[in-house]
Amino acid sequence: MAVIEAEHLSKRFGKRVLAVDDVTFAIEPGTITGVLGPNGAGKTTTLRMILDLVRPTAGTVRILGSRYRELRAPAQRVGALLDSSGFHPGRTGRNALRVHATGAGIAGGRVDEVLELVELADAADRRVKGYSTGMKQRLALATALLGDPEVLILDEPANGLDPEGMRWLRTFLRGRAAEGRTVLVSSHVLAEVEQTVDDVLILSDGRLVAQGPISALTASAQPVVRVRSPRAQELEAALRQNGAGVNRLHDALAVRGPSAAQVGDLAHACGVPLHELLTEQPSLEDLFLQIAGTRRDDAATVTLGDAAPGPAADSSAGPAASDPPREDT
Amino acid sequence: MIALARSEFLKLRSTRTALVLFLVVLLLVIVPLALLLAFVPKEWLEQDGITSFLSTASTLVPLALLVFGILGMTGEYRHGTITYSYLVTPRRWQVMVMKLAVYAAVGMVMMLLAVGLVYATIGIGGLVRGVTIDASGGATAGDYARQIAVAGLITAFGVALGALVRLQAVTVAATLIWALIAEPLVAALKPAVGNWLPFQVFNQVTVSSVSQPGADSLATVSGLDRPQAFLVSLAYIAVVAVAAVFISLRRDVT
Repeated sequence: MAVIEAEHLSKRFGKRVLAVDDVTFAIEPGTITGVLGPNGAGKTTTLRMILDLVRPTAGTVRILGSRYRELRAPAQRVGALLDSSGFHPGRTGRNALRVHATGAGIAGGRVDEVLELVELADAADRRVKGYSTGMKQRLALATALLGDPEVLILDEPANGLDPEGMRWLRTFLRGRAAEGRTVLVSSHVLAEVEQTVDDVLILSDGRLVAQGPISALTASAQPVVRVRSPRAQELEAALRQNGAGVNRLHDALAVRGPSAAQVGDLAHACGVPLHELLTEQPSLEDLFLQIAGTRRDDAATVTLGDAAPGPAADSSAGPAASDPPREDT
Repeated sequence: MIALARSEFLKLRSTRTALVLFLVVLLLVIVPLALLLAFVPKEWLEQDGITSFLSTASTLVPLALLVFGILGMTGEYRHGTITYSYLVTPRRWQVMVMKLAVYAAVGMVMMLLAVGLVYATIGIGGLVRGVTIDASGGATAGDYARQIAVAGLITAFGVALGALVRLQAVTVAATLIWALIAEPLVAALKPAVGNWLPFQVFNQVTVSSVSQPGADSLATVSGLDRPQAFLVSLAYIAVVAVAAVFISLRRDVT
């Protein structure tokens, strides 16, 4: 049974802002799933709807088989990090946790355990207003861990963490998944998430544009040919004339469409010398940019894994017949 | 619900807001009373000077409690702690009802404390000055009970107003302007209307109990006797509290 199931979930704020638009997904137990997308894609609103903090305009979402508000002892089953600024600045870190532990019926000893776990024990008796952004983030994570929950929902947990903190977070999340727990983590830092998650949900303009195992998504994506030439401008013009997609890198061109052999042949035909020519499998970030870049014209959702691969990055694909036109974003 | 109540009390104990409130009560009650006892002539002390003072103090302390209630609720929105409150207790009506109850209890304790401080200060001051002063100002136990109950209701009223408006500075400023300027003006110009407005009604339960001691059956200037004023106070609190709970249930926490 899926741990989190959302069906046709939508949220409209006022008349003009459609923050989440008909999103359907299921999160399997024991996985780390990344919710990815640029700022304003609808990630936070989706997470808040899962946690019953935001009421969906349409659709349903269930966590552990029921709505969040219907769970018994929810803080002991689902831990959430939503906002590292959600603490009274005049309260100490320890007391901030004690307030939530007391309300949730969690033993006081657990507060010290989670403070140790997030390496905040030394600062526990300082007021939160004296904490750095990274410390507040660790305190928010400690709050999520108070109930030793089976599901973790983390909104941008790496915000404010230094590289050491990010590595600690990666190791920590992998450890939770290894114990069979489920983690749903949102981020707009794709390179960071790529190293952590099993599956991804990619949101763009409030719509789910791709979902599936990260390895399948990147493997299905259109490869990129990287080419370096002292006469890059001429080569770029020739490639564009032949219908290739070209992005300029700082000392090279990233070419989508033709194979490396076709690029080499074209360069030879134009008399342009090449200093480098190789095929790269795109990173998650490349994939995301491809998908988000085509999103405005192509509304199809890419689903990989058990389902057949969809037209992930095919910018020539037309709009899905079932996809309604977007009214606004 | 017990865990929730303990959590609310812990919220109060773990910040300085309640301590500041206690100091404000001290400031409003003890300091002027001590100055009065120290410097005014003995004859005046033995007449009705203390009663007049008590009347003023019994207006100011509930106002401090009202602001305390507003700060308690709006602080949850201002600092974003409402998110975690609702995550721990997603049945939001429970959060709201418990906050109203806890703040009402704290308001009553504060008023009880204020009354006790008045008695203690007058007792000590009387001994020092060598005069006998009626610290009650003629008020009966029933007067005090109503005064303490209304203090609790006013604190809860502040919580409910905070839940409705959410913006801390706006709520505090608007409420104080309404209570200290708008209502008294309306009451002065149109007593038949003004004396039914909320803070005028609260005053009729508190101030009048001291300024018209032991006169439960007497009608006040508005035509409301004290039991009636108390019932109208309850009605005001109930309406605003129910509205606050209802809106909290429907509001998105973004």
